[in-house]
Parts: sequence; C-alpha cells; structure tokens
Amino acid sequence: MFEWLSDNRASVAAVLIILFLGAFVWSIVVGRKQARLTATDEVFGDPVRTRGGWYWSVCGVSALMLVWFYFSWGTGRAYFPNAANEMCQIAKLEEAVSPIKAALPIGSRYYKSTLLASRNTAQLDDLQSRLAGTVFTEAEKTELEDLIRRIGALIANSSNPSDMDQQSRDELVGLVERLNELSAFIDAGPGDLTPGEEALAQPAWGTTFAEIPILPVTARGMLFDTASVEAAEIAAEFNRIRNHVPENDRLIADIKEQIDALKETNETGAFDEQVSAEREDYVKAVERIFKRLDDGLIFPAAALADVNTAIANLDASANSAQGGLRFADAVFFPGPGIVKSRTQCTEQGSARWLPKPTDVVATFMRLANPDLENGGGYRGFPLLWWDWLPVADVVAFFVPDWIADAWPGEFASHGDDGTITPNFKDKLLAFAQGEVSLGHIPMLDGHIWDSLFRVLVALGLGIFLGVPLGLFMGVSRFFKSFFDPLIELYRPVPPLAWAPLILTIFGIQDDGKIFLLFMVAFAIMVISARTGASGVQLTKIRASHSLGASDRQIMWNVILPNALPEILTGIRIAVGVCWGTLVAAEMLAGTTGVGFIENIARTVSDYELIWVTILIMGVLGLVFDMIMRWVIKKTIPWRGMG
Amino acid sequence: MISMLKKAAFATAGAMALMTPAVSQADEVNVAFFLEWATPNMVAKTDGSYADAMGVDVNWVDFTTGTAMTEAMLAGDIDISYSQGLAPFVTAIQQGAPLKMVGIAVVYEANDCFVNNSLGIDGSNASELEGKTVAVPLNTMADFAFRSYMTHYGVDISTMNIVDQAPPDGAKSLADGAVDMACVFGGVASAAASEVGTAIMSSEQKVEAGIGSFDVISVTEKFATESPELVRAFLEATEEANSSWGGTDAEFQIVATAAGMELETTKAQVSGFIMPSAAEQIANYFSADGVAAQAAASLGLVFQGDSDGAMIAKTIDGSFLE
Repeated sequence: MFEWLSDNRASVAAVLIILFLGAFVWSIVVGRKQARLTATDEVFGDPVRTRGGWYWSVCGVSALMLVWFYFSWGTGRAYFPNAANEMCQIAKLEEAVSPIKAALPIGSRYYKSTLLASRNTAQLDDLQSRLAGTVFTEAEKTELEDLIRRIGALIANSSNPSDMDQQSRDELVGLVERLNELSAFIDAGPGDLTPGEEALAQPAWGTTFAEIPILPVTARGMLFDTASVEAAEIAAEFNRIRNHVPENDRLIADIKEQIDALKETNETGAFDEQVSAEREDYVKAVERIFKRLDDGLIFPAAALADVNTAIANLDASANSAQGGLRFADAVFFPGPGIVKSRTQCTEQGSARWLPKPTDVVATFMRLANPDLENGGGYRGFPLLWWDWLPVADVVAFFVPDWIADAWPGEFASHGDDGTITPNFKDKLLAFAQGEVSLGHIPMLDGHIWDSLFRVLVALGLGIFLGVPLGLFMGVSRFFKSFFDPLIELYRPVPPLAWAPLILTIFGIQDDGKIFLLFMVAFAIMVISARTGASGVQLTKIRASHSLGASDRQIMWNVILPNALPEILTGIRIAVGVCWGTLVAAEMLAGTTGVGFIENIARTVSDYELIWVTILIMGVLGLVFDMIMRWVIKKTIPWRGMG
Repeated sequence: MISMLKKAAFATAGAMALMTPAVSQADEVNVAFFLEWATPNMVAKTDGSYADAMGVDVNWVDFTTGTAMTEAMLAGDIDISYSQGLAPFVTAIQQGAPLKMVGIAVVYEANDCFVNNSLGIDGSNASELEGKTVAVPLNTMADFAFRSYMTHYGVDISTMNIVDQAPPDGAKSLADGAVDMACVFGGVASAAASEVGTAIMSSEQKVEAGIGSFDVISVTEKFATESPELVRAFLEATEEANSSWGGTDAEFQIVATAAGMELETTKAQVSGFIMPSAAEQIANYFSADGVAAQAAASLGLVFQGDSDGAMIAKTIDGSFLE
C-alpha cells in the first residue's frame, strides 16, 4: 500500500491539491457566513469573539499547504508529471550550446572576441606607458615599443574580415549550416521518435535520490535529447575553429624571435638581481599577452554575426517546439527552472531547498518504518518504536557501583585451576552494573522518544523545582532577595554558552542534555510563578486572613489558584523554548534524537531530512500546546472572566 | 503574455530571495579560498600573478567552510574554489550541484584519531577498541579517516558507540574520559587531544596504509564550458606558483599575512602539505581508476549509503591540467 502510494505520489498530490483548494474556498464561504451571523451581538475586545472559528484554521492550513505545494513545485509535478523530464532534455540542449553562446552577444552581451581585443589592448597600452620608467636601455625601449606595436597589429589583423583566410571562413559557414539544419530538425517535430525501454523503466520524478529521470520519456523529450547530441558536436567543432590570418603568420614568427632575443639578453646580460627581475617581469608580461593572441581566438565581429543569428534561430525553434511546456514552466515552476549538471538534472530556485510535501511525508514514512533491516529508521535506530528493556538496566541506573566497592572484603580472583568463584561482593557489583537477569519490560524507543524523554524530564524538573521557588519568591522577602540575583544573572545567558561547561561537568550521557534543557525551563517557571504569586489581589488574601485562614491555607487555596494562569502560560512557553534548545543540546554529543538527525542532515545539506525534523519538532510542539490548552481549560476555566 | 507571467513568477520568487540568477562576467573571475589554510600559491595571489596569467581581474573571496563555497558557486558568485575539501565537494555532487573537480590543490595527512592514553591501545591491539565509545564529527573528512583506520585494523565499527561531536568538544570529552577515542581536525583540537591521547596511526603508518586526504580545485560546470581557457590559465598559474615555491622566510611571511596566521604555525602547516605537480596529478589522481575517483567514491558511500561511485567519477575531469 505504502509502496504504491510512494510510487504514485504525483497523483496523490494532484488529489490532495484539489482537496486543499476546495477546503480553502469552502472555509472562506463558511467563515463569511458565520461572521455575518455573529457580527452584530459581539463587542470588540470581548474574549468570546475568539472562541470557535475552526473553519479559519482549515483556511490557514490549506493556504499554507497550497503555498508549500506551489513553491516546492509539487503542483507542477502533480499536473505535469513529465515536465521535469522534458525540461531536463531542454536543459541538455542549453548545456550543449552554452560554449557557443558564451562567445556571442546572445549569451554574454559582447562577443568574446570583443572582450579579448579590448582587454589585451588595454594591457598593451599599460605596458607601453610603463615602458619609459623601466631599466631597459634606450635601444631596447625602441625595440620593445616596436614589439608592442606588432602585438597590437595581431589584434587589428584578426579583427579585419578581409584578412581572414578562406578555410576559416568556410569552417564558420559550415558551422552556421549545421546549426540551421539543427533548427530545421527541431522545427520538423519529434516525428516517429520514441523513448527507449531503458528510459521508460526509470523511476518516476522524485521517488529516488536522483530526483529527475535523465533519459527522455516523451517524444518531445527525445527530440531535444537527440538535438542536444548534435549540438554538443557542433559546439566542439566551434571550439576547434581558429581564425587563421595569413598575414599574422609572419608577424608571429617575428615576434617570437624578438621575445627570444630579449630573453637571451636577460639571461646573459649579467645584471644585478633587481634589474634582472624587473627585466624578466616585463618581458614575461609581454610574452603572456602575445601567447593569448597567437592562437587565433579573436574573430572579426562580422564573421561571427551569422553564427549569432543561427543561434538565435535555434533558440526560436527550441522555444516553439516546447509548446505548452513553456507555459507550465512559467506558471507552475517558480525559479530558474531545471539545470543539467554533469551527472543529473536538478531543480533550481525554491524547489532546491523546499522539498515537496509528499516527498517529506514519504521520507518520514521511510524513517518511521521500524524494520531496520529493510532501510527503516535513521542510522540503525528507529524513529519511534518500542523495545524490551531489561529491568536490570533500570536498577543499575539507580544503584551506584561504589556500593560494591564499599562492601567489606575483596573481589574474587581466578583460582589455581583457572576458575572463578564469585563471592557476594562480585554479585553485588554485577547487580549494580545491571549484569543480572531480572526480566524485561516493554519500553518506548527511537529518536523521537529520546528527544521527548529529555524534554519531558527537563520540563518536569523545571516545574517541580521552579514553581515552589517562584511562589515563595512572590511571598517571602528572604526568598525574593536571596534568589533574585542568582536567577536573573543566569537567565539571559543563551543555553549554547553553557554547552562546553556542561560537556565537562556531565559528560556525554543524557544528564548533560537534560540539565541544559532544565536550566531553560527552570528560569521560565520561576519567573512565571513569581509573577503569578505577587500578582494576587491583596483583598483576596486579606479576606481569607480575616476569616482565619492559616499561612498554609492561604498559600494552597488563594495564592496557588490565583497564580495558576501565569504558571500554565509559563509551562506553555517553556515547552516551546525546550524544543528550540533541543537541537543545541543534542549537538553536544549526538547519538540519538531529532536534533541529532537535524545536525547530521545539515552537514550534507539533505533538505528533505531537514524538513522532516522541522516538521516532527513542529508537530510535537503543537501536540504539547494542545494538551496545555486542554489543561488550562480544565483547571482555570475562570481565566479572563474576572 | 507568457513572458509576463514568467516575469511575475520570477518576481514573486525573487521577492522571497529564493535565488540569485547566475550572470557570468567574463571580465573578472571570482575565486574562493580559505583563511588559515596556508597554501604556497598565496604568494601568487598576493603579487597578482594569477591576474597576469589569466588576463582578467581575479577577486579572491575567503570562506570558512567548503559547504559555503558550494552554495556561493551555485548562486553564481564564485567561479573557482581553490582548496575545497573533498567532503563538501562529494556532498555537493550527490545533491546534483553542477560542479567539477579540475585539479588537486594540496595533499595532506589524514585527520587523526586519538586514543586515551590510559587505555594502552595502539595499532597492535586496535581490536580492543570494539565496544568502546568514540567521538567523531560525522560526515567530515575525520569521519572518513576514522572509517579508513578501523577498516585497516579490521575493527568492527557496528560494535562501537559512535558519538557525533565537533572537534573541540571531542577533544574535551577525551580529556574527561567520557569517550575512549576522539577523531578530530584543526590545530587547536588536535593539540588538545594529543595532550591526553595518542594517534592510532603515525604519519609513516598512514602513508604506508595509503590513508591520506586532499583538497580539490573545483569549478562550476558553467564556467568550465564557457571559459575553459581561464580554467587552464588558473591551473597553470597554480602550477607555476607551486614549482617556484622556495620556502624562504619572505615567502612564508607573505603566505602568513595572506592566510591571516602566525609565521610559526604557517611554517608548521605548510610542512605538512604536498602539492602534486600537474603531471603527477594526471598520472595518479585523474587516471581512469585514479586516487581522486576512488576516494570520492568511498567518501560518497560514507555519506549516502546508496551512492554510485561511477556517477561521482563523471565530475572529475583532469583534462584542464594537460
């Protein structure tokens, strides 16, 4: 069942999106209707106004889901399941032509030749202006000036269309022809191109780690895929074409000779070190520029104009061959579309870091599968399951090892025949270390449980220690003045700052993590209980006192109930902050837990896993909050009614 | 109409800062490098040799992690990453990032795993590590080194209790006795760990066992196809910088300043670096079944159980070195 759902997640999403869309519209209709019914008899600011309104929750959730589906390309995938594959084929063509485009205005504003000519001319001018201040002799300077002028002439000759030799011209004409043929091929449409069996057997979009199937699965995809192969060959051909200018041949030979002569002088001249270095640097700089110009990479702009037009035609053909896909791309795939890398096609834009809702659920289900042998769980540990816990382990947790050490006598050592007879002291040690069989009890297990356990224990300790202290601080001068500085000093310090200390004090087990969370919860509970206690109306306390209530009775029956709203709000805040601190706590020494998964996922930028952990923490936080709201409703129904 | 819709979609997405369209400005090349990573080519970076050799302006941008380099390359802000770690590179490839490995920047010793001195465990009785607790920064080169050591000594990792800890934390836990072995990287953490522990493998043993580590020179696919001559020029300039490295005090001073380090630590760090020549890289690293492909494939396996080594190998391209 799950397998089937996972393989057909695009269709599942298609149904879900319609449902969410329906729910969104319906909830607005219902909401408006309800608003008309109740609007007249409610006063602004009346808390009753916020009661109910579940339909607006439906509206909010469906709006969120629709936005998520849209920006993660979930909508696109649901209704255009083959679009990514086709866009991948188009990206292949883009990738194949990119070396040609990069050299033309169509791809990069200027001809590459223009850039080369201007850049090298500027550098030659720079050398020229530096020449006067160099250590060369006057004769050499004249010679260098001539050399620079000649190198400049290389650029001029390469840029003149009439200097081009026939072969280079023919090569460019041939290239344009091939490009036009390619455009014609694309214009002709897919015809009888059919995807191969291997392509059709690929897993669907998003169901595997490789995301988008790379081989074309549609006729249109086949067209672009075939075209991209030809385009790659044309691009390679283009990269091979050099502008051969007959006039430059002689010039190049002369320049080489001149540079060699200069180098020779530099070496044999016996100059002192600084002069020699300066001379060498200058000649090297000249040679570098020359080497960039001697291989015919600069073409006359006029000679490349036809190629530019042919590429523009190819783009036009490719665009019209895409047909409705362009519309889908523009509307349903926000972002720069799909990019082909060497190994795979990947989604760019928001879809890169925002996985689709269905994929997140699928990843969650994979992790939640308790069958560890078949790829379930995370790093050999289930997400949330149960296991048999040896009772002895629990006992060992509470019984310290030193009890065995403190017992009189010695631990047994092996006898003359090599056997060991354990005495009572040995048995006590085994008991304290949990190495005895006391039966098993079922116990929850897994990453979520470990995190939950840490949060619950920390929160419990925080409440049981923090609330009494806070209450006493609200009623007693001693408690208030004694603890106030302590609590206020440590409270603003971010938990992460404690981390290194806690690691040293508590080690790598659960207690350190729990202590970190406890510190957070404790401060919040103290503050809220204190505020609650000190905020009790004096008239209530005086009234009960005058009716003969003892201190204890005032505390239990007046102060505590009146402080409850503050305390319960404090618990709600503490729960949220504890979940927020969990990732930091589990970074200390990660072995298990939701925060641990998040930390590992971050190192490999596994966005699906990151979102799964975000959702787990969000949902757990929500569940806690719902429970707290229920508790608040049951315990202090009078809140806001006074 | 369609282009308007597309624009609207782009604007919405852009407003949420979802993307930075890559615009290649061929007139300048942006190169990522690490501070505190004293590579000899910093001399060439400082004296402008790179700009001279490539004929364009070269902007050097410093980064603190290889993952950030990947992100910047994907955003189109960086064209070449010099000395990106192998681990972030492999991770990026597994995520489908259009990057390419075109050269090896530096080869250095694998990160160390320190065993607490009180245990008396070294290479000869390494199997005693089974059942012990180990602090490892998971999914890093130290993790990779840890697995390599354990495989070499035939220790069953599944029996060990592996704790994910950042190097400074791992070193501290080792000192506290909370863990029995800590695998760390970075000078400070290694120094702290070596106070209380001994490396499981000496430098000589590591060389003998063929356990090493290297940083790569990576470029974006886009830059490699559009400006192959600049990639070539960059590698040539690097090669020249490495071969002209004389190890003089003046050179060390330049590198120390460029890397933002003390002179002494610079010297110590550089002494551990080997910069393979282009010929050596082609012969050993970028050959059909070379070191680069093998290391990347086995690293990929560590990070993602179902990695396909052949896929990563496709992004390793030594042709720019020729």
